[in-house]
Formats: sequence, C-alpha cells, structure tokens
Amino acid sequence: MPGFDFSNYNRNAALHARGVPLPKATSTGTTIVGCIFDGGVVIAADTRATSGPIVADKNCEKLHYISSNIWCAGAGTAADTEFTTALISSQLELHSLSTGRKPRVVTCMTLLKQHLFKYQGHIGAYLVVAGVDPTGTHLFTVHAHGSTDKLPYVTMGSGSLAAMSVFETQWTPKLTEADAVELCSQAIQAGIFNDLGSGSNVDVAVITKEKTVLKRGYVKPNERGQKLKSYIFPKGTTAVLNEKIIRKEDLGNYVSVHELSTTEDDAGDKMEVDA
Amino acid sequence: MADRYSFSLTTFSPSCLYLGPFNTLRSGKLVQIEYALNAVNQGVTALGIKATNGIVLATEKKSSSPLADPTSLSKISLITPNIGMVYSGMGPDYRVLVDRARKVSHTGYKRVYNEYPPTRILVQDVARVMQEATQSGGVRPYGVSLLIAGWDEGILPEEEEEKEKEAQGGESEEKKPSGKTGGILKGGPMLYQVDPSGSYFPWKATAIGKSATTAKTFLEKRYTEGLELEDAVHIALLTLKETIEGEMSGDTIEIGIVGPPAHHLLGVEGVEGAKGPRFRKLTPQEIEDYLTNL
Amino acid sequence: MSSPFSINGGAAVAMVGKDCVAIACDLRLGLQSLTVSNNFPKIFQYGDVFLGLTGLATDVSTVSDLFRYKVNMYRLREERDIAPSTFAHLVSSSLYEKRFGPYFVSPVVAGLDAKTGKPFICGFDSIGCIDFAKDFIVSGTATEQLFGMCESLWEPDMTPDQLFETISQALLNAVDRDALSGWGAHVYIIEKDKVTKRLLKGRQD
Repeated sequence: MPGFDFSNYNRNAALHARGVPLPKATSTGTTIVGCIFDGGVVIAADTRATSGPIVADKNCEKLHYISSNIWCAGAGTAADTEFTTALISSQLELHSLSTGRKPRVVTCMTLLKQHLFKYQGHIGAYLVVAGVDPTGTHLFTVHAHGSTDKLPYVTMGSGSLAAMSVFETQWTPKLTEADAVELCSQAIQAGIFNDLGSGSNVDVAVITKEKTVLKRGYVKPNERGQKLKSYIFPKGTTAVLNEKIIRKEDLGNYVSVHELSTTEDDAGDKMEVDA
Repeated sequence: MADRYSFSLTTFSPSCLYLGPFNTLRSGKLVQIEYALNAVNQGVTALGIKATNGIVLATEKKSSSPLADPTSLSKISLITPNIGMVYSGMGPDYRVLVDRARKVSHTGYKRVYNEYPPTRILVQDVARVMQEATQSGGVRPYGVSLLIAGWDEGILPEEEEEKEKEAQGGESEEKKPSGKTGGILKGGPMLYQVDPSGSYFPWKATAIGKSATTAKTFLEKRYTEGLELEDAVHIALLTLKETIEGEMSGDTIEIGIVGPPAHHLLGVEGVEGAKGPRFRKLTPQEIEDYLTNL
Repeated sequence: MSSPFSINGGAAVAMVGKDCVAIACDLRLGLQSLTVSNNFPKIFQYGDVFLGLTGLATDVSTVSDLFRYKVNMYRLREERDIAPSTFAHLVSSSLYEKRFGPYFVSPVVAGLDAKTGKPFICGFDSIGCIDFAKDFIVSGTATEQLFGMCESLWEPDMTPDQLFETISQALLNAVDRDALSGWGAHVYIIEKDKVTKRLLKGRQD
C-alpha cells in the first residue's frame, strides 16, 4: 500500500484531458463525532455511504479498528479511510510487537498525519482518532492534508455542523460514560436527520482503560417497515432460452480423481485434486 | 591470515579438498550451512509437541551468569495471533527472523487478503528468507533452526472424518465424496521445523538444539496419538527435565501454547467475527503450577 | 466525451437467497449508441467464486484476466480454493493499488462460503471500497433502475427458484429502461452442490 501503482495514470489523465470526467468514488458523506468522558472516550458515526446522490450502502461501518485500545471514525473517500486506517493499524501492530508496548494514540495520529501530508490531500481521508493508552485518554481529528487537532469533543464530515450544534448546546465537562454515549448518539442523529449525506443508524464505540465496546446499530431510527405484499413471481415467469446445470458430483465426468494411500505423516503435504 | 574471512560466500566444497567426518572424502556439501547447523547443535534445546486441540512450544531460558536479569529475555515469540515461534542457535539471528516473519505476514498477506497467513505459507516465507542467505554474496546463513507452531482455520481432522462417515453411512454410492478432494484448507494444529538451509519439515513432535537427539528419543517413547494439549504440556516439561542442566522453575523455562481462542486477550467486545489470539505464552506462575503437578 | 463507465454500457446484479446466491449480467457491448455485440458476458467464474464486471470493456477484459491469474496463483500456492470473502479483499486491495490511476470497472462478487455454506455478496467502487450488503448489489449503467427494481422486489429467504425469477425480472426490467444495457442476459444460481446457468430472452433493441 505504500507503493501505489501508477500504470493507468497517464491513460486516465489523457482521457481526462479530452473531457472524460473522473470516476466517482464511494464517499461517506457522513457525520462522525468523538467525545471524552471521565475514564475514557466515545466515538460515533452514522452508517450511510453515498455515490453522488445515490445511497450506495445503507448500513456501512465507519468505525475502524486500529488496535484494541485505539479506534478511528472515518469521513471522506470511503476507500481512502478504509485503507489508510488498515495500513496504520498494520504498522502499529508490528511496532507494538517489536517494542513490547501497547500502541499509543499520539503514535497513531502521527503516523496518520505523516502519511496523509505526504500525499498532499490526494488521499481523501478525514478521521477522528480516539483511544486510551498508558499515557491517558486522547481524542484527535486528522484532516486529509495532514493537519491535526486535539479537543475534548469533535465532529467531522458533511454533518459536522449539525452534530457540533448538539455538542455546543449540551456538552459539559466531566461527563459520565452513559451521558457521553447519549450525547454522541444525539449528535449523530442530528446529522442523520438534517444532513442529506448522512443517514440510517448510529454506531458507537466506547473506549476505556479496560476494554473497548463496539455498539453496532446502537440506535436504529430508520428501520424499513415490513412489506405488506410479496412480489415473488410464479415459477416460469422469465423466458429462458438455454439452461446448463453444473453439479458438483458430475464434475467426476470431467476430472478424474485418484485417491492416494493415506499415511498419517504426509497427510499435510499431499497434492489435492480439486472438485 | 586475517583477511581469510574478510568475505562471506557459501560455496560447494570441491570433492577433492573436503575431508568429511571420520576422514571420509565428501563432495556436494555446502560447508557454510554445516557451520550454521553446528551453531544450532550447540544451542539450547527447544521442543514442540502437537496435540489434537493445540500445540506446545518449550525451551530453557539459560542465563550465563547469576548476575544476569532474565525477566526481559524472551525466546518464544508471537508472529501472528495464531502462530508462534521458538529457536535453537544464535539469538541475534533469531530476532532478525522474527521481525522478518512478522513483517512478511502483513505486507505479503494481511494487507492483500485482510487475514493472517496460514502456518504453511508463513513457514515457506521464513524458509525463503533463510534459503536466500545460502545463495547470496556477502551474507552468511542464519545460525538458527526454528520451530513454528500455528492453528489454521479450515476443515478440522475430526470434522473431515465425520463427513466421510456421513457420506459412507448415508448411501452405498460407488463414488464417495471425500474431504481431501474439496480443495479446502485443512485446519487444526500445524508444527514445522525450519533449518538454516531453508528446508522445512512438518512434525507431530520434535526437538532442536544441543540435546535434540536425547529429547527426540524421549518424545518417541512418550508421544501417543490423540494427545490433549494439557498432556502435551506435561510431556514437554518431562522432556525438558531430561535435558535441562539447571533447575526447572517459572523463571528458567519458557512455554508457548497454541490453544483455544483466548477471548480475554482480545480487548474488544461487540466486533462481529473477532476471535482472541490462539497463541500465547504461559506466565511464570502458570509454568510453576504445571511444575508442581508434574 | 462521455464517462468511461458509460461508453460500452452494461449491467450486473447479485442477490442473496436462502442458502443460495444469484449473480446476473446483461450481454450488450456497445460503442456509445452503436451496439457492437449481443454476446459479451460480464460474469467470470474463479473456482466457486463469481465476479461480475461492468464499466469500460477493455478494463473488464484486463481485470477479469488479472484475477484469473491471481486466483490461479493462490490455488497453486495454498492448495485450496479461494473463499468468497478472501477474494473480495483481494479485489479490494488490487483496485486500491491503482488508487491514482484506476481501472474503470465496478465489480460485484458472489459465492457461498465453502466451509459454512453462508451466502456472500459484495460490490466495489472503482478504487476498491467494499460495499458489504446482506440483500443485493447492483452495478453498471442501469444502476439506478436496478436499485429501484431490487429495492421493491427483493425479500429475505427466497428459494433458488424464487431467487431466479426475482433477479431475472429485476435485471430484465431495469435494462429495458436503459438504452446502454440489455440484449439478453446470463443468470447464475449458485447452490451448495450445483450451479445453474441460464440464458435469458431479452429485447434486442
């Protein structure tokens, strides 16, 4: 992943120069938030992914695992948030293994900002980084160009204004865990209902010194109602010109399978003939 | 003479020049690899035993002086959550290989397939690193043999047996579908040894290092089919006892096990499909408990 | 010039049923409004996993060949078939490697997990972001029509026969409202011990 392949770049740039529009990537229009409480940190996200005006995924995951004690909420280009967090998670795991220490949130944030700054904003990942490590509880935002912020409560994405309005009116210092979860949930719901780029459910992750609890679908305010009528067509509705059935058991007609004598020792090394 | 070793090259020994053991003439040997094996055979003994439900890796933690602080010394290492490794031979070389193994499991596998490599794939990757050191200029072979133990997801041996029984008992068909031809990875415990030459072998139980021969003879006597992990740990300690020089305690013995997923080490709740690591090292206290029950 | 995704036209869709999955595509290959072929399938089989590819036809061919190579290498190395979810992540990382010069394709993956028998489908954007869906995945120039059809026709736990009728009707009626797709269709119904491939009669205009 550090090594991108630019082999199609010139072709695509030439097409673009002749007026071909760039492909539209799935973006997480998104409302993501984070909030520190007494003893830990909460991050939360909505679950809508969009491609232009189309809702591409109604229940996607925007809370990304970095390590058991560090999680990331991602907004922006969906592929970029997914792969950037996976890359840094991988680097942190190797680092943690070779140092024999738990990964730190500042280390994660620094790796992310250096990676994103290197790509000058072309990697469109906007992240909320949160975690608890031996040095304490931390909450950061990281922007695609590499700038970072450290605050007690943060919001990002297209629904960040709606979410921030909730924080600015209801946030108080020294929240309890339950209050912080509820506040984050309300902030995400403000995004879900007031920002078109955000929608569906609320996902929450609560990180404390002991453990992280992921609450996928913490609130589901937009459940689809039961269909009143079944639209299943009777068998034979569709005109079929040709039908071919490939049964696994019939594959013996095309492939010959020879069972080799089994001795315990070479069981693992035996060549397998695939069905 | 000082410049005789100012280069490093692994070369076939010319048959006319190389005098083998007992003064026999030998040819086709790579003496550099034999030197590496000598380093292994002077190393502290390490052993591995495969059970039906896991694997145990064990070795002695030997300190050269009573002044040495052994608490920070570690000879058994986690490579991936389901794979662990131990060595016999040169410690510094081993640490390089541990780093390489961990790195390649991410760059060559996890970052592509979003899952950790199966044991055999990891073993082959490590073996490739070691083989390259036998055919490159300016380097010497790694002075270690490794025992790599891991658990693979896939069809477990007993599940396969059940399937076969089902297929045979269900119908008296002339063609019986066999799990062996399904092209599905066979799961369960895997134990491999890797040598400085880059060759590797699967084992049910084996030992490497100074007292490997003694230990293997002992293991041949004690090993039975259908061993449980608890029995395997027990046998591992008995085998070590045969070969060990100092006294056995939680501080002088190191044990790593591949067992059921250790959920308490996961640190997260509510993540779909997340399983705890199967490989973990036993604490000195846990080892003491096994020793008192020996 | 139009988008590379709509030069050649085409549509693909995958659906989940009870212990079965379906994947279908149209057969048109065009050059803008001119139809060049009515036999250009967009579904490719790699062992037990199926890949649907819509978008720029030259990239559809290149990418399908690339994954045939990658899956064959995987089988030789690992002595086993690739699992659908593993294949999905292989597609994802391969596409993201070309983040700054992507293939103009929108892949769809369908298959059953060999060990558990659980249905698996997913879709991707052109740079490898995975859309894990529990119901259906659509792609191609008829995306909007397919979304409408699937959203109204799909229901949980369909039998293989019901799934066939549903995915076929969803695809046929969607491509009839897309000038760039159609001209017949292929439908694969994938079950534990058999795969049924059907050629559908579609409008030739």
